[in-house]
Amino acid sequence: MDNALYVGLSRQVTLQRSLDVAANNLANVDTAGFKVESLMVQTDAETPRSLPNTQPIKYVLDNGLARNFGQGGLEATSNPLDVGIEGEGFFTVQTANGPRYTRDGRFTIDAQNQLTDHSGNPVQGDGGSTITVDPQKAALSIAKDGTISQGATKIGKLAASRFANLGGLKKQGDNLYDAQGQTPTAATDVSLHQGMVEKSNVQPILQITNLIAITRAYERISQMMSQTEDLSTSAVQRLGKAA
Amino acid sequence: MRALSTAATGMAAQQLNVETISNNIANMNTVGFKRQRAEFQDLLYQNVERAGAQSSDAGTVVPTGIQIGSGVKAGSVYRIREQGSLTQTGNKLDVAINGRGFLQVQLPSGETAYTRAGNLSVNDTGQVVTSDGYPVLPAVTIPQNASDITISKTGQVQITVPGQTTTSQVGQLQLASFFNEGGLEATGGNLFLQSGASGSPNVGQPGQTGFGTLQQGYTEASNVDAVTEITQLIVAQRAYEMNSKVVNAADQMLSTTSQLKS
Repeated sequence: MDNALYVGLSRQVTLQRSLDVAANNLANVDTAGFKVESLMVQTDAETPRSLPNTQPIKYVLDNGLARNFGQGGLEATSNPLDVGIEGEGFFTVQTANGPRYTRDGRFTIDAQNQLTDHSGNPVQGDGGSTITVDPQKAALSIAKDGTISQGATKIGKLAASRFANLGGLKKQGDNLYDAQGQTPTAATDVSLHQGMVEKSNVQPILQITNLIAITRAYERISQMMSQTEDLSTSAVQRLGKAA
Repeated sequence: MRALSTAATGMAAQQLNVETISNNIANMNTVGFKRQRAEFQDLLYQNVERAGAQSSDAGTVVPTGIQIGSGVKAGSVYRIREQGSLTQTGNKLDVAINGRGFLQVQLPSGETAYTRAGNLSVNDTGQVVTSDGYPVLPAVTIPQNASDITISKTGQVQITVPGQTTTSQVGQLQLASFFNEGGLEATGGNLFLQSGASGSPNVGQPGQTGFGTLQQGYTEASNVDAVTEITQLIVAQRAYEMNSKVVNAADQMLSTTSQLKS
């Protein structure tokens, strides 16, 4: 008979998680290349009937985190080492734990003259090699297809990779994704924009309305739960008098 | 309630953003100043349900999984080394660097510092010094009888002496460049110090490959763009506000929970 309480609890847990996800989205409203996330919720259909001829109990379960890989707005920064990706693709950086993928194209040059991200991970070019810049030569220019040149000399090409199952990418923080064994293929129809940064694709207005919806739903569920409790209290009292 | 601490990381990040922007705006008229930008990264993710985990004996796998992020952190605050515009000053000892490179300055401690601020002057012994009175390296001394000073694009300092028709060279200004200029350590006073991340300096004459040229009678203005900074400030302030809304929402939910059992 406490079913209503447990069903309410299952919804409360998913609502709290939704709030955590919305909080993370809003915290990353200004993080380059960040992709907005949302919690997917389903009713669990497999709960058996408790008694014959009754409705099965339907709990609420969260069954996945969806990430919207839609394009974020490109913002001009006039920094020659900022590269924004237009289209579906990821840059590859080499970390101590193997290759990682990112949409954050804000690069820099380290003391060994290598093109790296701001954590110092070397950026992987076409064919898996790193890109080394000659500081004595002219400024870098990066073409739409990723070709990097200094004056007339080509020094490398930025590679953009693509994955069959974007949902299988695991976020590991630092704006990096772990491919978890998926093999990337070359993304040929993306264009790279020098001097641009891809902004986060979080739409603050949606997140704020989400926040309202979450808090209100939470209140409603809590109310339902206290009403259930009131019901059982009064039932106990009345039945007690009758006896 | 993870949302509370997540929102707190968001607010802390935006605070840093506002601090960076305010420093940029404060240095809008600082000679040779390069604007800074705070770069953010997402924090660690917690795996509630792993993507790729088996969901049945038949080998079906969970396609997406549940990962919940824990907020944002500042990755780095870096300088944008974009050339500032050149401002005419008419001062014979002002030099603007057009392109790559830094002037070398000797600090009182004996260390060498690097600067883009070329508003130079002469001290009581005739030595060319920065506005703080630190001598420029290699040392250049202007004789007292000089009536005019010319600094060429390639750094030769020449003087004219009354009664002589030819100019004579009294020194040569040099520039130092770094592989990773972003790694230089700012020490205030428009000065930078070499660090492990910057690599060692590469010294050469202005105008050589890889070095900029000098422009006498000009200074390099700060590359801060007021309009960009103000719009960034608006964005940062709003983002801060929105994160505070999350704190509100989480608080409301907690209070609802605590009122459940009356």
